[in-house]
Amino acid sequence: MATNLKKNQMIQGNLHPISSLIREAVKAFESLGFKVFEGPEVDSEWYNFDALNMRSDHPARDMQDTFWLTDGRVLRTQTSNGQIHFGKNHKPPFRILSPGQVYRNESTDFKHEAAIFQLEGLYVDTDVKVGHLFYTLDFFFKKMYGPETKVKFRPSFFPFVEPGFEVSAKFNGKWLELLGAGMVHPKVIKNMGLDPIKYSGFAFGMGVDRLVMLKYGIEDIRLLRSGDLRFLKQF
Amino acid sequence: MKILKSWLQDYFSDNISDQRLIDILMSSGLEVEDFVSGIDENVIVAKIIKIVKHPNADKLQIVSVDTGKEKLKIVCGAGNIEVGQLVPLAMPGAKLPTGEISQATIRGVESFGMLCAEDELGISNDHSGIFILSSEYKTGKPLNQYLNSDTIVELDITANRGDCLSHIGVAREIAAFENSFARKEPISLSKIDSKHCSEEIDINVKNPEFCPQYLARVIDNVKIGPSPKWLQDRLIACGAKPINNVVDVTNYILLDLGHPMHAFDLQKISGQKIIVRNAKRTEDIVTLDGEIRNLNSKMLIISDEKEPIAVAGIMGGKNSEVDENTKTIVLEAAEFDPKNIRATAKDLKLSTEASYRFERGIDSGGIEYVINKAANLIAKVSGGRILQGIIQVGEKSKREDIKIEYDKIRCQLGLEISNEEVNHILRLLGFVVNDNFATVPTWRHDISIWQDLSEEVGRVFGYDKIISIQLQKTASPKKSGYYFLEELKDILVKYGFSETMNYPFLSENDVATAKLNNKNLLEIANPKNEENKYLRNSLIPGLLKNVAKNPSFDSIQIFEIGHTFQKTKESISLAFASAGKSTNQQKVVDVILSKLNIKSSDRTVTITEYNRQELENFKIKKPLVCVCEINLSKILGNKKVYQNIKLNNANKKIKYRGMSKFPAVTRDLAFIVDRKVNVENLANDIYCVSNLINRVELFDEFASNKFGKDKKNIAYHIYLQSTEKTLNDPEAEKIINKIIMNIEKKYLAKLRKA
Repeated sequence: MATNLKKNQMIQGNLHPISSLIREAVKAFESLGFKVFEGPEVDSEWYNFDALNMRSDHPARDMQDTFWLTDGRVLRTQTSNGQIHFGKNHKPPFRILSPGQVYRNESTDFKHEAAIFQLEGLYVDTDVKVGHLFYTLDFFFKKMYGPETKVKFRPSFFPFVEPGFEVSAKFNGKWLELLGAGMVHPKVIKNMGLDPIKYSGFAFGMGVDRLVMLKYGIEDIRLLRSGDLRFLKQF
Repeated sequence: MKILKSWLQDYFSDNISDQRLIDILMSSGLEVEDFVSGIDENVIVAKIIKIVKHPNADKLQIVSVDTGKEKLKIVCGAGNIEVGQLVPLAMPGAKLPTGEISQATIRGVESFGMLCAEDELGISNDHSGIFILSSEYKTGKPLNQYLNSDTIVELDITANRGDCLSHIGVAREIAAFENSFARKEPISLSKIDSKHCSEEIDINVKNPEFCPQYLARVIDNVKIGPSPKWLQDRLIACGAKPINNVVDVTNYILLDLGHPMHAFDLQKISGQKIIVRNAKRTEDIVTLDGEIRNLNSKMLIISDEKEPIAVAGIMGGKNSEVDENTKTIVLEAAEFDPKNIRATAKDLKLSTEASYRFERGIDSGGIEYVINKAANLIAKVSGGRILQGIIQVGEKSKREDIKIEYDKIRCQLGLEISNEEVNHILRLLGFVVNDNFATVPTWRHDISIWQDLSEEVGRVFGYDKIISIQLQKTASPKKSGYYFLEELKDILVKYGFSETMNYPFLSENDVATAKLNNKNLLEIANPKNEENKYLRNSLIPGLLKNVAKNPSFDSIQIFEIGHTFQKTKESISLAFASAGKSTNQQKVVDVILSKLNIKSSDRTVTITEYNRQELENFKIKKPLVCVCEINLSKILGNKKVYQNIKLNNANKKIKYRGMSKFPAVTRDLAFIVDRKVNVENLANDIYCVSNLINRVELFDEFASNKFGKDKKNIAYHIYLQSTEKTLNDPEAEKIINKIIMNIEKKYLAKLRKA
């Protein structure tokens, strides 16, 4: 007698490589006590910009092109809006990790996308130091890319942190800038409703799409949102 | 911004290697976008002594050259060379913009270097032939002794460092990292006329709030013409276009000192009066780019007695432009309010080199130096005479000193650094330090709190000296809804569904195809293209587009978890779709619903099956498509903790194969194998046969005793594809035969002939 083996149930589907990478990162940060918190993608101008020390009269506002909605709100340009939402409702110390999609109103090509995933971390406590941030990111990259991985910090500028850092890791023998980080700006701590004299913190954010592309050698960022099963079925 | 090394060296005399320059720029926080070294030492002047045809290539020649020390043979393809000419020879080891030169064998003939065209040396875009050198050069000398070859660095300056949009600013940074100071030569004015400039022009600043300082000088007797070559060379190397000697000097000063200036033709200024005021609502101006600009009362302008002659700090007006007949110029160097400039530039949609710098703040303490240096240079290059005196309205504003919190800085950075070392670093950067207070240099607008000082100290002292500190242990964090969503993904993957991620946008066309009501959708106010008109309120249109996009798959099972948007509410939704000949959608719905604790009698979750017409609208050819969407926000909303979730680990062994532009060759293979054979493992073994196999898809699996006891029939679509070319039949056949051989051997399988 013939038996139908229900082939559909026997062949696995595939998790999107962005999901897999975020999962791996969440696992690494979980061991340092970071809890996942996701903020909204559509947010007010205040949460996305002003609260993060990017006033409209300052050139730092131009760092990304923004999608504005007709009701005056924005599609968030970075996951950092979640910092303020979380900080307003929680008392330090806290450690959170916010994965999520963010938006850029720019033309797309093989390197640029209108939507990308970010992974953001925030730690607020009394007496947080730059050394804590260095430790955390060093730990993360060694977990992701092996114990030999080297990490380097250079000065950079993001309005919501001071001092700010550009962080590079040595990947396949090459230094690559992988994320931005810094000590949370006292104005941002204040906008969380916390006392910036008592509390300090660090924050970091990285582009997940880029990490995925590096991991697999994907040459065109648009493939990630192409819905092309010849691509998706490989993961 | 482009920075020339030779220009930086106007400000510090020590020689600095290219590598050291890059290292300092990187550790100071000035991001190096691009870097072009001057012509390498190993590019020398060589003399052509003989040219013969290459024995194995029609288009190549073997050129014998004299390097002064020896005679070398070089293979070369250019047609413009002759015996006796001097040409640039890149010897093995020479670093050119295109890479390092090495000794190479070209079509069987050894070549000891390369003769270069101008573009290969990075001095122009010319690739029309070998660069023929002046006969005055000496054979064997490095070429960079003759050609003005400079190291050019392109910097990406962050929004906080307006002071580094100039050579002096970058020089200051480099000097500080070299433990010294950039040196500005004092200006001694030449060719001063006895007449005082106030006899020629009157300045009135009506709105000092938007214009705290306005300085002007007058230069008489100028002869407008081209600038000298050295000046033009510097402008061109920095990407600016030479115009005439006066305008070139103002642009030069902008790149040199970071201060935007403007020159007016005095004869064209009505009433010999300059008035700095807000525009009237009815006024407009034709700017230097020829555009008519409508002004409003918030915009600061420069006007004469009658009308606007410049948009302050952004662009001059046509009506007061310096031209070939200009005899006397008024030179302006002012400080404008950054916020007002920014607002005006936005309103006029006019961003210029000038507005870019004013928005970021100029050196409010250096304006007199700026106008003197510019006046001197204009007098020098145009033959003009500087009238006595400066007209100066306003003065630099006082800024509050910052208390240096030494202990807090030490604590934040975790560095052992003495108060004296902190003071020393701040002084190197131009701060004045007195009694634990720091006066911020007039060119820095990004420093107002002790944390800003901390960054200055840290970056000069060296971030590599900061030691990591372990985080204090905490209880493991509570698992949020994220874990629950990921668990749902694992379930769907287990049932054969692949995760897709779509843009959250809908076009007008999508809205029509999916029969959505656009009144319920959030709309983007400034979309760059029509694909981004609305935000999705459902994941389904995206999934249907995915189905349509994959016609080569017999059966499709996909899902997405993502944000969806109503006018006032943002939700997280799950949707999944099956398409093909048959579907197991109901079974999966049941599993998911039970996971979500939703009773299957719940009417809000339904499977939609599309009819032919609807599928046509989405350009879907598959006979059957089912979709189902569930809003998860409610379920996630009640602050549940999901402590016991265990997620699948990522498969680390995935090897990605690039997507090819070339068509795939498809073959179907069916095997009779033992019933226990795992179809996934077998598919994997097929993959391993060749890199050109980019998809192995099971399309049939059927057990029957007619194949033999405990046997089954399995069949795969196999897609062969190269990223480099279209595969031909023999190439494909070779791979297919190898697959058959391998599988038959390993699984004791039998190929089933079609």
